[in-house]
Amino acid sequence: MTNAFVRALACGTVLAGIAVAGAASASDNKIALIPGGPHPYFAPWEQAAADAAKDFGIATVDFKVPTDWKLALQTELLESLAAQGYNAFGIFPADPVGINSTVAELASAGIPSAALAGCTQDPSDVSFCLGTDVYNSAYLGTKALIEAMGGKGNIVHLAGLLVDPNTTLRVKAVETAVAETNGAVTLLQTVADTDAQEAADQKINALLGAQKDEIDGMIATGYIPSVVASKSLRTLGDKRIKFIGIDDDPIVLEAIKDGFVAGTMAQNPYGQGYIGAYVMDLMASGGCTVKDDAPWVKTPQTAKFIDSGTLVINQANLDTYKDDLKKITADIQGKFKDTYLNCQ
Amino acid sequence: MLRRLLLVEWSGLLAAIVLGSIALTFLAPNFLTEFNIYVMLRSFCVALLVGFAQMVTLGVGQMNISVGALGGLVAISLGGMLEVLGFPLVLAVPLAILIGALGGLINGVLTVRTGINGFIITLATASAFTGINLGITESIPFYNMPATLVAFGEQRFYAFPYLLIAPLIVAAVLGVFFARTVPGRQLLAFGGNPTAARLSGISSERVIVLAHVLSGTLAAIAAVLAVAQLGSAQPTIGTDWLLLSFAAPIIGGAALTGGYISVLGTMFAVVLIALIENGMVLAKVDPYWVQFLLGALILTAVWLNRWRAVRTGTD
Amino acid sequence: MSDDAIRDAPPRRRLSLGGASGQIGLLAIVIGFWVVFSSLAPGFLSTFNLFNLGRSLAVDIVIGFSQMVVLATGGMNLAVGSIGVCAVMFTGFLLQDLGLPIPAAMALALVLGTLLGWLNGMAIVKTGVNSFIITLASASLYLGAMLILTKAVPYSELPAAVGAFGRLKIGTFLSPLLVIAIVIGAALFVLYRFSTLGRQILAAGANPRAAAMSGVPVDRVIVFSHGLSGFLAACAGLMLVARLGAAVPSVGGEEWLLPSFLGPVLGGTLLSGGVVAVVGTMIGAALVTTIRSGLLVLQIGNFWLQLFLGLILLFAVFVDRYRSVYAERRSTRQR
Repeated sequence: MTNAFVRALACGTVLAGIAVAGAASASDNKIALIPGGPHPYFAPWEQAAADAAKDFGIATVDFKVPTDWKLALQTELLESLAAQGYNAFGIFPADPVGINSTVAELASAGIPSAALAGCTQDPSDVSFCLGTDVYNSAYLGTKALIEAMGGKGNIVHLAGLLVDPNTTLRVKAVETAVAETNGAVTLLQTVADTDAQEAADQKINALLGAQKDEIDGMIATGYIPSVVASKSLRTLGDKRIKFIGIDDDPIVLEAIKDGFVAGTMAQNPYGQGYIGAYVMDLMASGGCTVKDDAPWVKTPQTAKFIDSGTLVINQANLDTYKDDLKKITADIQGKFKDTYLNCQ
Repeated sequence: MLRRLLLVEWSGLLAAIVLGSIALTFLAPNFLTEFNIYVMLRSFCVALLVGFAQMVTLGVGQMNISVGALGGLVAISLGGMLEVLGFPLVLAVPLAILIGALGGLINGVLTVRTGINGFIITLATASAFTGINLGITESIPFYNMPATLVAFGEQRFYAFPYLLIAPLIVAAVLGVFFARTVPGRQLLAFGGNPTAARLSGISSERVIVLAHVLSGTLAAIAAVLAVAQLGSAQPTIGTDWLLLSFAAPIIGGAALTGGYISVLGTMFAVVLIALIENGMVLAKVDPYWVQFLLGALILTAVWLNRWRAVRTGTD
Repeated sequence: MSDDAIRDAPPRRRLSLGGASGQIGLLAIVIGFWVVFSSLAPGFLSTFNLFNLGRSLAVDIVIGFSQMVVLATGGMNLAVGSIGVCAVMFTGFLLQDLGLPIPAAMALALVLGTLLGWLNGMAIVKTGVNSFIITLASASLYLGAMLILTKAVPYSELPAAVGAFGRLKIGTFLSPLLVIAIVIGAALFVLYRFSTLGRQILAAGANPRAAAMSGVPVDRVIVFSHGLSGFLAACAGLMLVARLGAAVPSVGGEEWLLPSFLGPVLGGTLLSGGVVAVVGTMIGAALVTTIRSGLLVLQIGNFWLQLFLGLILLFAVFVDRYRSVYAERRSTRQR
C-alpha cells in the first residue's frame, strides 16, 4: 500500500509544477473517478484525484469505488452520484458495452463522461477514451516476448475473464502476433478465467506442471495472472521460460529484478486519473467540447482513443520507468486542451 | 443400511476419480509426473478446508454464507499482523484462526439469540466481513509475508506438499469428532431431528453455536493456507469459495437438510473437482469449452454415483 | 431420494403466503429507511434517483421470483443467472444477427428460458438427484454452451426501440420495468393463493410424501416450478437487455445468486419449502435496494460501504424479528 502511495505522491509533486501554469481559474465542479471495482491497479487514482483537485483548483474530485466488480453496482454508484450533483465522471467501464446505456443517460442529463484506463465499445456517448489500448498492449507484449525468446518457440497465453469482451480482443492480439512469425512461434494453449488469485494459482501451476519443458514463453494479459505466474516461475526457479506480464505489481517487479520475468507491460494509472480529472473539469464547465478532427487513435473498440502510455519494463529501465511515465503524463496533459478540445 | 450407503457414496466418486485418472494418463503424458501430482495435491488443500467449513454447518441443518467473506477477513488480518504490526508467525497464525472462530461465534450467537434463520444472519455478516476487509486494505494486498510461511506453501517431499499436512490432520480430527465424540454426535443428531434431539436433552443453542464456531475456525485455517500458498495476503481470498463450499460436501453425500455428512465423501468430491480442473488444463481444452465440460463432468460423476446407489439399493 | 433423514414436522404447516403481518412489518421498516434517507440526503427523492432505483429494483424482484418459485418446492435453482444470460445472448442473436422483430425475439427467449428450466426439472425428477447438484452442474453447462456459441462477443447493435423502452418513464419517474415486475408478482400471487396448481406446489414443497399420498403429482409440480423459474429468469434477462440496450455476456451468471435468495428469504419464503411470500419477496428486494441506494446517496463509506450494508441489514432483520415476536406475544395474551 505504502509503495503505491509514495509512487503516486512522487508523480504528483513533479506534475504540480507543470500544472500550476495551466490552472487559471478555480471551478466548482464535482467530478468522480470510478473504477470497475476494488483492485490494486486503481490505487494511484486516489492520489491523482487529490492532486488534480489541488493543481487545477477543482471543487471536488473524488475517487469512488463500487464494492464489487459488477456492472449493476457500478451503474448504481454512477446514478446515485449524479443524483448528488456530481457533474462529470471518469469511468473504467465494468463492461465496455453494458456501461453505454448509463453513459448515454448521463449525457442526456448534461453530464459528460470519459472512459479511463479501459475503453467503451463504440457506439458510445463517452467523450473520449484515455487508456491502454488493450489490443495493442497485448500485441506489443507478445512481440516483446517473441523477441526475448529469440524469435522462435512455444508460448502460452494467460488470459482474464472470458465473459469480458476485452479478453476476446487480447486473445486476437496474441494470435495475430504469433501468426506474423509465420510458424516460428506456436501458441500452445490459451488459459482463461485466471482473474481470481486462487483459480490463477491452480491453473498456472497445472500448466507448468504438465508442460514446463515444452513451454518457451508465456504472456499474461491480466493483472492477477501476471502476479501469480511471476511467483510460480520464481518457485520453480526457472529462468529458461521467458515471461511477459502486465502492470507493475511489486511481486512482478521483484521477479524482473531477479531475472525470473523478462518484462512487463506498464500502464499509466496515475496519469489516466490525473489527466482524466483535468479534462472532465474543462468539459463540465461547459466551455469545452471534444474536437472531431483531433489526432484520435482508432482502435477496434473506439474511434476516439488517446494512448495514456504503454511501455515495456525490463531489467534495463526498472528504476527509471516511473520517470518515463511521468514525462508521458505531463506531455499529454500539457497539450490536451489545444489538441483535442474546442474551448470558448 | 446406512453404513452400506455410506460406503457406496465414496465408491461412486472413487470410481469417477479412478476412471478420470486413467483417461488423463492416456490423454496427457505428463499427468503422472511428480511435479503435476504435487500441483494437484497442493491445489486441493484450501478447497478441502473450505468444503469442511460448510460441511459442519450443514451437519446441524444450518448454512454459512459467510465462509468466503470470513476467510478473506482472516487472510488480510494475518497479512496485516505480519506486515504492519510485525507480529511473529507463532503469534499471528493462532490469532488469525482465533479471529475466524470469533466470526463464527458471532454468527452462531446471533442465530440462536434472535431465532432468525442462519442463512440470513450469515448473509448479512458476510457483507460486514467483506466491508471490513475492503475498508482496511482498500483492495491492496499485503505483500511482505515471512519466508517461513511462503516456504511452507511451496515446499514438498517428493510429490507431497507440506501444505497438505494441515487438511489431512483436520480431516482426521473431524472424522473422529463426528464419529466418536459426544459433541460431534450431538451435532448430527440435532441436524437430523432437532425436536427429538431437544427431547433427549441436547441444547440446541450450544450445538448451533458450536457448529458455527467450528465453521469459522475451518474457514480461518483455509485462509491461512491460502496466504501461504499465494505468498501474499490478497483481499480477494475467499471471493470464490461460496459455491465450492456447498458443492464439495453435497456432492460428497451430505444432506442439505442436516444430520448427515461424510468427511471422506467431501474429500473425494474435492479431489474430483481438482482433477477435472487440472485435467482440462492438461488436455489443452479450448477455453470456451471449459465451463461446459466442467458442468458435464460433474453431472456425469454425480450420475455415476447415483446409478451405483440405486443399483446397490435395489439389490 | 438419497435424502432419507427423517425431518421433523414443524408445528404448523402454513400453506399461506407467509403471513401478512410479517410483510407489513417489513414494509414499515422499508418506509422507515425512506424517511431517514430522504431527510438526510435531498437527492434521494429526486425523480432521477427514484427512476433509477425503481429500475434496478425491478430486475432484482424478478430474479428473486425466479428463485422463489423453486424454493416453494423445497428445491433450489443455482442456474438462474446462467439461464438469464442465455436468454440475454439469445435475444441479442435473434435481434441483431437474424433481424427478427422484437416481440418474436422476446417470445423465443422466454421459450428458451422455460426450456432450460424444464430440463433442470426433468433431470431432477428422473435421476432423483438433489436439485442443488443438478442446477449447480447445469449452471456451468448453460453458461459454457453460451460461451461456446457466442465466443462472449456482445450484441451492441440492437434496434433502438429496445434501449428506448429501458429509458421510458411513465409520468415523471416510474419505469415500465417496475410495472412489469409488479404485474408478474400479481400473477404469481394469484397462482399460489387461488389456483389448485399453486396449492399443489406448496403442498409438495411442505411434505412431498404426504402430498403424493393425497394425490398431488409431485414430479410434475417440480418440473413445472423449474420451468416457471427458467421463464422468470429469462424475463429478468430481457429486462436487463432493455435496461442496457445491448446483450452482454457478463450479466447474470453467479452474480444473480445472492440477490435471487435475498429477496425471497428476507420476505419470508422458507428455504425448506412449502411457504412462499410473493409480496414479501418484493419488499425484501426493496429493503436491500433501498439500503444500498441510501448509503450511496449519503456517500457513506466508499470502501467501508459493504460493512454498513451488512450492519444495517442485520439491524433491519432484528427489528422485524422482535416486532413479530412482540406481536405474537400480544395476540396470545389476548386469546
